[in-house]
Amino acid sequence: MEKFFFEDDNNRVTGKAVVTGKAKYAAEHEVEGVVYGVLVGSTIAKGSIIAIDTKAATKAPGVMKVITHENSYKVPGYDYGGNPAKGLTGGKGLQVFNGNTIYFAGQPIALVIADSYERAVYAASLIKAQYNQDVHATDFAEMGKSVIAVEGQRYKDNIRGEADAYKNAAVKLEAEYIVPNEVHNPMELHAVIAKWGADDKLTVWEKTQGVKSAQRSIAAAFKLKEDDVQVFAPFVGGGFGSALRTWPHSIAAVIGAKMVKKPLKLVLTREQMFQLVGYRPYTKQRIGIGADKDGKFIGITHEADGVTSMYEEFTEGTVNVSKILYQCQNVTTRYKLYPLNLSTPTWMRGPGEATGCFALECAIDELSYLLNIDPLELRLKNYAETDPERNRPYSSKFLKEAYQLGADKIGWKDRDPRPASMKQGEWQVGYGMSTGLFNAGRGNAKASAKLYADGTLIVQTAVSDSGPGTQTSMTMIAADMMGLPVNKVTFEYGDSSLPPGPTQGGSTTTSTLGSAVYGVCFALQNKIIDILKTDGTFNKTDLKVEDVSFTDGGVLLKSDPAKKRTYSDILSKAKLNQLEVSDDSKASEQMRNYSAYSYSVHFVKVLVHSKTGVIKFDKIVATADAGKIISPKTARSQMIGGVVGGIGMALMEEAVIDNRFGKYINNNFADYHVPVQADVPEIEVAFVNKPDPILNPIGAKGMGEIALIGFAAAVSNAVYHATGKRVRDLPITLDKIM
Amino acid sequence: MSHNEKLLNDDCHNSRRGFLKKSVAATAIALAPNVIVKAAEDGLDEKAAGYFEKTNIKLTINDIDYSLSIEPRTTLLDLLREQLHLTGSKKGCDYGQCGACTVHVDGKRVLSCLSLAVMQEGKHITTIEGLAKGDDLHPMQQAFIDHDGFQCGYCTPGQIMSAVACVREGHANSPEEVRQYMSGNICRCGAYNNIVDAIIEVKRKGGTI
Amino acid sequence: MITFDYIRPATTKAAIDALKKESSAQFIAGGTNLVDLMKHGITAPQRLIDISRLPLNIIEQKGNMIRIGAMALNSTVAENALIQQQLPLLSQALQAGASPQLRNMATVGGNMMQRTRCAYFYDTTLPCNKREPGSGCSALQGYNRMHAIFGASDQCIAVHPSDMCVALAALDAVVVIADSKGERRLPFIDFHRLPGNSPHVDNNLAKGEMIVGIEVPLNNFVKHYRYTKIRDRQSYAFALVSVAAAIDIKENIISDIRLAMGGVGSQTVATNKS
Repeated sequence: MEKFFFEDDNNRVTGKAVVTGKAKYAAEHEVEGVVYGVLVGSTIAKGSIIAIDTKAATKAPGVMKVITHENSYKVPGYDYGGNPAKGLTGGKGLQVFNGNTIYFAGQPIALVIADSYERAVYAASLIKAQYNQDVHATDFAEMGKSVIAVEGQRYKDNIRGEADAYKNAAVKLEAEYIVPNEVHNPMELHAVIAKWGADDKLTVWEKTQGVKSAQRSIAAAFKLKEDDVQVFAPFVGGGFGSALRTWPHSIAAVIGAKMVKKPLKLVLTREQMFQLVGYRPYTKQRIGIGADKDGKFIGITHEADGVTSMYEEFTEGTVNVSKILYQCQNVTTRYKLYPLNLSTPTWMRGPGEATGCFALECAIDELSYLLNIDPLELRLKNYAETDPERNRPYSSKFLKEAYQLGADKIGWKDRDPRPASMKQGEWQVGYGMSTGLFNAGRGNAKASAKLYADGTLIVQTAVSDSGPGTQTSMTMIAADMMGLPVNKVTFEYGDSSLPPGPTQGGSTTTSTLGSAVYGVCFALQNKIIDILKTDGTFNKTDLKVEDVSFTDGGVLLKSDPAKKRTYSDILSKAKLNQLEVSDDSKASEQMRNYSAYSYSVHFVKVLVHSKTGVIKFDKIVATADAGKIISPKTARSQMIGGVVGGIGMALMEEAVIDNRFGKYINNNFADYHVPVQADVPEIEVAFVNKPDPILNPIGAKGMGEIALIGFAAAVSNAVYHATGKRVRDLPITLDKIM
Repeated sequence: MSHNEKLLNDDCHNSRRGFLKKSVAATAIALAPNVIVKAAEDGLDEKAAGYFEKTNIKLTINDIDYSLSIEPRTTLLDLLREQLHLTGSKKGCDYGQCGACTVHVDGKRVLSCLSLAVMQEGKHITTIEGLAKGDDLHPMQQAFIDHDGFQCGYCTPGQIMSAVACVREGHANSPEEVRQYMSGNICRCGAYNNIVDAIIEVKRKGGTI
Repeated sequence: MITFDYIRPATTKAAIDALKKESSAQFIAGGTNLVDLMKHGITAPQRLIDISRLPLNIIEQKGNMIRIGAMALNSTVAENALIQQQLPLLSQALQAGASPQLRNMATVGGNMMQRTRCAYFYDTTLPCNKREPGSGCSALQGYNRMHAIFGASDQCIAVHPSDMCVALAALDAVVVIADSKGERRLPFIDFHRLPGNSPHVDNNLAKGEMIVGIEVPLNNFVKHYRYTKIRDRQSYAFALVSVAAAIDIKENIISDIRLAMGGVGSQTVATNKS
């Protein structure tokens, strides 16, 4: 196809709804007779509930019900045999109000339901629980000591080539890096409205990155037919991974609605956002990397110790980056997982790859100084032309081009490479860079399309959009395929009853769903061709899609452009009100022989105040090989957004646990700092913007994750260049520099 | 305002709570609906209190006058979102730490989550829903669309209300100044650059905003 | 939050009288801290006395001093022409605090009355001597990188988070306090208390008293002054440490100097030397 070169700088199609305040997020749907639920959390981190005094709460004004493990509706999909956590992995998680065991502080122990929000909040404050408290484990320093790693096949050493070969290299580095617990903290508080209708049909307005996965999870928990659960998420106020799962609070809301026989709204507090919807897990990493004198990598060993909850194993691909980012024969990886009295972590933007790239990309910078080779040159010397782990070609890789773009824009070669050598007044100046990568995948999805006689097109699929602009890019693909202006195309989504779409996560939405939208439009094109074959328009009974252009709201014959028919003409002549098609889109067979990754490169210029250690950004350049850029404006925004997330990760984000109490003590936006306007300089973005010819028909890879992956390493490397001080544990706060 | 002043001097609603605390008083019970009598008999003055402890206030929201009966503990944000269904003002933290709930009270940008609704008696409140004139977007709303000043859109109403005030206050003279005076509005998607561009453009174009 | 009565007296005298009548009553003005504390259940007044509309928002020069009404908004004071000319250090300190929205709500009196932001004070399930005398101090052995360096006791290491107060301490401000009998004046640096054995008492305001204003003597610190605030992000964050500094130079000699530090104690630490 010659299509998909989007020059149009289209605005986000959701714009007007958002800027006028009319966009409805989960808690904002007006549901007749809705009542309010407030969750009460455990004040201890480990033990069991002896008793819960709900008397005062039950008698408080407006209270309709107080639900605890003692009186909860028995969720049919839960396991009631013995230990409620036993044997659970994957999507199930904590079984709310099932048993009296406490696994972490803040674990829901009661749901208070009242007729107004204020009354529910007040009554929740009256709940008093008595516990049998056990000694909890929340101290990361105890991992590998009193806290013992989980056993299992996936925790075995993974050795390619010779084990720990770096040790024999001429030049080598060993260092330890720490990424703390970080919390997604989307601006929208997680919220749900649950309403049971007649015949046990359930409607749920949910903050979710996947309306289909939410539908499946809730249906499974309550043993309902999937079609009897309808999940709506027309607007999702950010997620970054926190809304990938259906969490216990949503199940609690459905239980509550069932028990009071009224629609129930439940909104988490910001504190609860730290405890109940996942986090990026603390990970301690050790990198051993060795090279010959010319800088050729001899071996990389990457070890990571991650954390999980006591009731579920959550693992991520932290150490995998060392297997695939550079050409190196000998790679050893070790991944250990330690269960603590915390809730289960989950994927947070860039997930394990962001954690892993922080360590690897800092280590490479450190090694470059030992070798006295420019850090960028060192990366190019070890550039992987084919996938070193799976020994197969890439479907596309334009990382070199991304390096070049970024190096030129930041002025990389003009810097003085010596540490602590550059100054601007009282500020020390430092340049740093890093690489990020993330798997570029394509999953299955279904979309349907309806072309109407008035020349408008509706494309439908059950996906949700937490901010990247999926609605906009899908609208653009459909408009481009059918030769329609964007305002004639409506992309309907955010409703689980639509054809099944993907969960928005893992940087695969555009690839997966874009392919489905492409596919359904292609099917629509063929259907139009079928009509044109027989209706005599072009006098060609063997007419093919390739013979025509879909443009200007209709079809024209390439061999005779004067022959043109609008969709309105075609449909009215065929006496049709609409043409409807649907398409199942699946990953291509061809991809079995290829590997596909998206790449980012971050260059930063930092200023470090020589007396106070305050760090400011002077310039940030973010470049990427994300395949074809479908929607340039929203893609640039997503890239900038990833950098802002990276600024938080690099300089300020850390969910601090006081191990005496096993609790977070900075669980709010005043103490858990995320970047504000004043922290963010102008960020320059550049895309290589070359289509991947194999991964999918639209040429796009992914970019949500790579926008952030590697950024924190670039900052740490720049701070070293500015000051000569290496900070290996995030966040890089000023006290670590002074 | 005369209504206000009257209210100021009107002490009769002030002591309702104290009155209720002695709610076994026969007169109260005689006058009260059954449910309250039951509550009082159970010694549940808290429960009965709810029926009495609403206060009547008048205020203007987006040029519409409202007469409301609210509990003094209701915040302006919860009043807007839960009772008036004006959900454009967002709850992001509920403690004045994020700016998502920013509205204008008598022309000043404030945080509605830390404002008690009862204290807004007689005041003029503008929310994001009141910014456009019919179908005509406010220039700041249009600039946010044109510059892609949001991603998920949740912080956007607060950002826009704050941005309009930022220009009106005269604090939008440079990107640096905008960054300082817009730092009370957190955007987790990271649309900050684009928000600055939108505000600078509105400022540059001038006119009454 | 519990339910409470709300009253809005028309005069300062009526407000002070109302405070006396109900033992658990509290004044509310901007509400930026009090509403927050009430939501957390840290304080639970049964009556709120709204003083935000009292005629106490005047900023004026009176003889050789500038008087700022207690109900003047932080943003109003910061942007006031007289303040910017005569007390630029105060304006700068105010601008460094909180966010524009909060500065539009917070009053001068409320800023002084705000309580510590210590995380342990805010978590009502944990021991805190300031919140619950005798329960212990969780911060002493806890997460305390933002806590007191000066003037702490073994009972409490919380800091007062104000920026405004640092400038006021440096500028020899005086607090004007009223009760039902009349007014008294207290040097600003004596307003807040060190924790000692009673960390739950933040300041020397007696029961039944109201801050009605601040008086700042005119000074020569209008050219050489600086409020510097070091924090974990560039705006909208409490100080790790802040410094208000001002000097008066006459004929190339420093004739007067002021230095005060914030974010390091329950009081502003001032070392004022003439």
